[in-house]
Amino acid sequence: MIDLPSRKKVIREFQKKGGKIAAVLPIRYPRELFRAFGFLPVEVWGPPHADVTLGGSHLQSYTCDIVRNAVSFLLSGGLDRTDLILVPHTCDSLQGMGSVLLDFVHPKQKVLTLYHPRGVRKADFDFLTEELKRLCGELSDWTGGEPPPGAFWEAIYREETADRALARLYRDRELLGLSDREFYRIVRSREFLPAEDFIENEKKLARREKRSTSGVPILLSGIVPEPMDLFDEIETMGARVVADDLACGTRRLYKSGHSEDPFVRMAERLFSAPPDPTRGSPISERADHLKNLIRKSGAKGVLIYDVKFCEPELFDVPLLRKKLEAEGTPVNYVEFEMGKILSQQTLTRIEAFIEMIG
Amino acid sequence: MKALAALGIDVGSSTCKIVGVDESGELIWHLLEQADPRAEDQVQRFLKAAEQKFGPLKAVPFVATGYGRKLVKDAAKNITEISCHAKGVYHELQKPGTLVDIGGQDSKVIVIGAGGRVVDFAMNDKCAAGTGRFLENTAGRLHVPLEALGKTALSADREETISSTCTVFAESEIISLVAHGVAVEPILKGLHRSLVSRIVAMIRSVGLVSPLMLSGGVARNEAMRKLLEEETGEKVHLPQYPQLMGAYGAALIGLKNG
Amino acid sequence: MTESITIRGKLRYQLAVNVAGRLTLAFRRRRNERKTARPGWSRDVLAPPLKLSARMKELMSRHYLGGRYANGAKKVAWVTSGAPIEILKALGFYILYPENHAALCGARRKTVEIASEAENAGYSRDICSYARTDIGAVLSGKTPVGRLPRPDVLLACTNICQTVLYWYRVLADYFKVPLILIDTPFIYEEAHAHDVAYVKRQLEDMIPAAEKIAGKKLSFKRLKEVVRFSREASFLWLEVLDRAKHRPSPITAFDGFIHMAPIVDLRGEPVVIDLYRQLLKEIDVRISKGIGAVKHEKKRLLWDNLPIWFKLRKMAQTFAGYGANVVAATYTYAWGELAPMMDETRPLESAAQTYLHPLLNQGTGHKLESMQKMVREFSLDGVVLHSDRSCKPYSLGQIDQRDYFVNHAGIPALLLEADHNDPRSYSDQQAENRIAAFMEILEDSSNAD
Ligand code: SF4
Ligand code: SF4
Repeated sequence: MIDLPSRKKVIREFQKKGGKIAAVLPIRYPRELFRAFGFLPVEVWGPPHADVTLGGSHLQSYTCDIVRNAVSFLLSGGLDRTDLILVPHTCDSLQGMGSVLLDFVHPKQKVLTLYHPRGVRKADFDFLTEELKRLCGELSDWTGGEPPPGAFWEAIYREETADRALARLYRDRELLGLSDREFYRIVRSREFLPAEDFIENEKKLARREKRSTSGVPILLSGIVPEPMDLFDEIETMGARVVADDLACGTRRLYKSGHSEDPFVRMAERLFSAPPDPTRGSPISERADHLKNLIRKSGAKGVLIYDVKFCEPELFDVPLLRKKLEAEGTPVNYVEFEMGKILSQQTLTRIEAFIEMIG
Repeated sequence: MKALAALGIDVGSSTCKIVGVDESGELIWHLLEQADPRAEDQVQRFLKAAEQKFGPLKAVPFVATGYGRKLVKDAAKNITEISCHAKGVYHELQKPGTLVDIGGQDSKVIVIGAGGRVVDFAMNDKCAAGTGRFLENTAGRLHVPLEALGKTALSADREETISSTCTVFAESEIISLVAHGVAVEPILKGLHRSLVSRIVAMIRSVGLVSPLMLSGGVARNEAMRKLLEEETGEKVHLPQYPQLMGAYGAALIGLKNG
Repeated sequence: MTESITIRGKLRYQLAVNVAGRLTLAFRRRRNERKTARPGWSRDVLAPPLKLSARMKELMSRHYLGGRYANGAKKVAWVTSGAPIEILKALGFYILYPENHAALCGARRKTVEIASEAENAGYSRDICSYARTDIGAVLSGKTPVGRLPRPDVLLACTNICQTVLYWYRVLADYFKVPLILIDTPFIYEEAHAHDVAYVKRQLEDMIPAAEKIAGKKLSFKRLKEVVRFSREASFLWLEVLDRAKHRPSPITAFDGFIHMAPIVDLRGEPVVIDLYRQLLKEIDVRISKGIGAVKHEKKRLLWDNLPIWFKLRKMAQTFAGYGANVVAATYTYAWGELAPMMDETRPLESAAQTYLHPLLNQGTGHKLESMQKMVREFSLDGVVLHSDRSCKPYSLGQIDQRDYFVNHAGIPALLLEADHNDPRSYSDQQAENRIAAFMEILEDSSNAD
């Protein structure tokens, strides 16, 4: 088993070495750019333990919990050790958060934003390249200068290596002898571990025999599986996760780029991710992608597990359901409110679904 | 007396039920009580009662369902009420169909396939609006006893539209209607309609397979039945013991696996 | 999938819309104009309705009647409310605005029935009620306007929200027609050169795509003309709204909500210019006679966010009952304030600027500034912020904006929880209570002065 340090510890160690910390909201951004500037990106996916009432003083109750919890966490001092906050423009809720931070909350950290385009046309690609340059420019202005050119490439190669390690973890997941919870703890350590540590950890993981195939195989889709107890619950219900379409999981399996221009290369990587509504991918493309994952993994059902009020996900559910069920894969949509514990109702729905497909 | 072959218990949010079946799966014994906050004690009491009636239970398969199912330590298995309801109803009906179960805490629509298999299901979302509680709360405001709700609603010759489906909003709508001197009956009818429309949305989302069955505590409410028939154009069937279907299904699962 | 244009189709359109339709609708309008009283219009607190609304209704009915017969006669585009339609218009498309259609369903109290169709198909109640109304109408064919034409193309522009893109992806899947996207990066502080270049390039790329569907070449001369009409109508619309600066104000923001349909739906057509000219005339008569839209105007308010379509008249009356006139709204203003950016001599560049800068594509601080400016220019006493459960881009930020007015500017402000199109997320009783309490605060604050 791998001993994963806590986020806190990782932050402290990185700072000890003179590094700075960037808190990053979901979903997409160029890790390598931040590393080149000496920042360790530490992602904030609405920590479940935040006190939401604080966020409620800035955002209405119909904002998703990821955003409300993140704002609450910030206001309660949870991000005090960070130097900057990056709020990617992922959806209308994160747009609101970024804007409210910049215009009203004025946290002590520098607030930066990033617009990922919603298409995959040449115009979108070129825009993203320019947008990355802008972000780089803002970082230079703020930190007082660009890093040496070598630093860019070093960071890019390192992140590409880490993403290949992540892809290998997914490929070998059945051979690792890990529970789902352990597996996702390691996958999700990419959210805060320096790439070099992630790469080392992946190397340490021994491949064994294929795990015994008890449990109903399911595909888990959604933004983020919180709280992580979810995996224990799924296991006691007699199922196991054999594939995912999580925004914090395979939706960020980035490939290595080809270009010799660092910005083009970063854009290539971001563009290589699987379909995702927050990138504007057509629904049929998403459905085909999921069918493919189902075929490869042998999943018997798809559990879409999403935080309430997540519009990008909600719009896709009925058609995904229709398209997947037409091919004989049952789909169940369950929404949850981000908190320390899972509600009984949420659990009952999941369990009934597992009984149904089992 | 027939021999006990399996027991099922349904620890729900408002009531707790236990059912015994014989070898053939026939329901031969049951108990039903308001839910005790100390569920474990209640379960023990129920088991004692069963023991007194049938003798030692050691070899009798025992399955638990309902929200409190995990608290039943003696049970060999615990299964969600969705699967149990499907089993129970299928055994009565002997054919596929759609079950609507409106409970105090949540409501569900279950499409039952061959053998009592769950083909698909839907549950109300988090708020209380789609559940029996919606009626209870709002009816409480009108001082109508729970048992008389359905009858009173059906005696209305007109109907007030209650547009809000949020319990809090609906309550304030009712207050304002009462303040404007509207009689209780049309308001109640509107309230039932509002709940039924939510249920119908759930039925549509999974697709209706005839016949349509109604179970759960609300099944005894004749207005719900009548309006559900009006809105779906389907005859609504009631199982013999609408409140016991979960526990009955649990016992049947025990019998099969026992 | 899509219908081709035929002579028969064109003929049918001519007969139904331009001959029969024109006559019946004109007749209906004349009848409406003669009616001075309207059911539910309380004359003791409000001036009689604007006469021009009959004409406006006629215009909009003709537009929807045209839609009914459009397939087979014209190519049809469904577009989002902030979309750059000038190119499509110049190519002769019939343009349908699902958002406006949804609002119309709201005003006619049809949303619950129609949106339920979408909800029954699995679309969550937590998504925008415009989207649910539209998807419901598509799935069931239910609409108060008879029939909606099938689209040949969809045009979504993200300058109002991301929701429209999620929603149009659903439509694209349903109709199996191309979806043209104009992606407009959100402006947190100011627009960057690469943002403008990006939008301009998408507009350029859109031309051949649209030409292909239209089956003809775009004439730049015609495009310039459309831009000119758009610009002129937008300026006139601004003028109409600015007349509310008079005391007492001759119009209310609710009049604005009712009369904004043409600037949204028919922008680029000369009829709109004509209509708003006449509207100005009617308003100016009111001003010269000293007629206020609210009979005893004591307080002047600002409305932020979309209206509550299914409670327009009720809201107007409730406020008027307190002697309050909601004279201005950020929402109606949004359709005029970009007029100066439009420039027919540089149609694409100026369009890129214009379509990047709607209120909803700019930061929450910018919206506060716009509101402050309106409070000054329209001499307002208070602000009503409609917290619209359906619309995050418009609503997020309102808590801080309200806080600024109340605690820093000393201007009473009310956060009113509702939904622009879904009556199920609204309670009269609660809204009335809050408004009553707000009016008491307003009274107190003026006594303190
Ligand atoms: S959960 Fe959904 S709505 Fe919330 S931040 Fe993520 S993408 Fe946006
Ligand atoms: S109401 Fe808001 S969320 Fe809905 S379409 Fe309009 S801008 Fe988008």
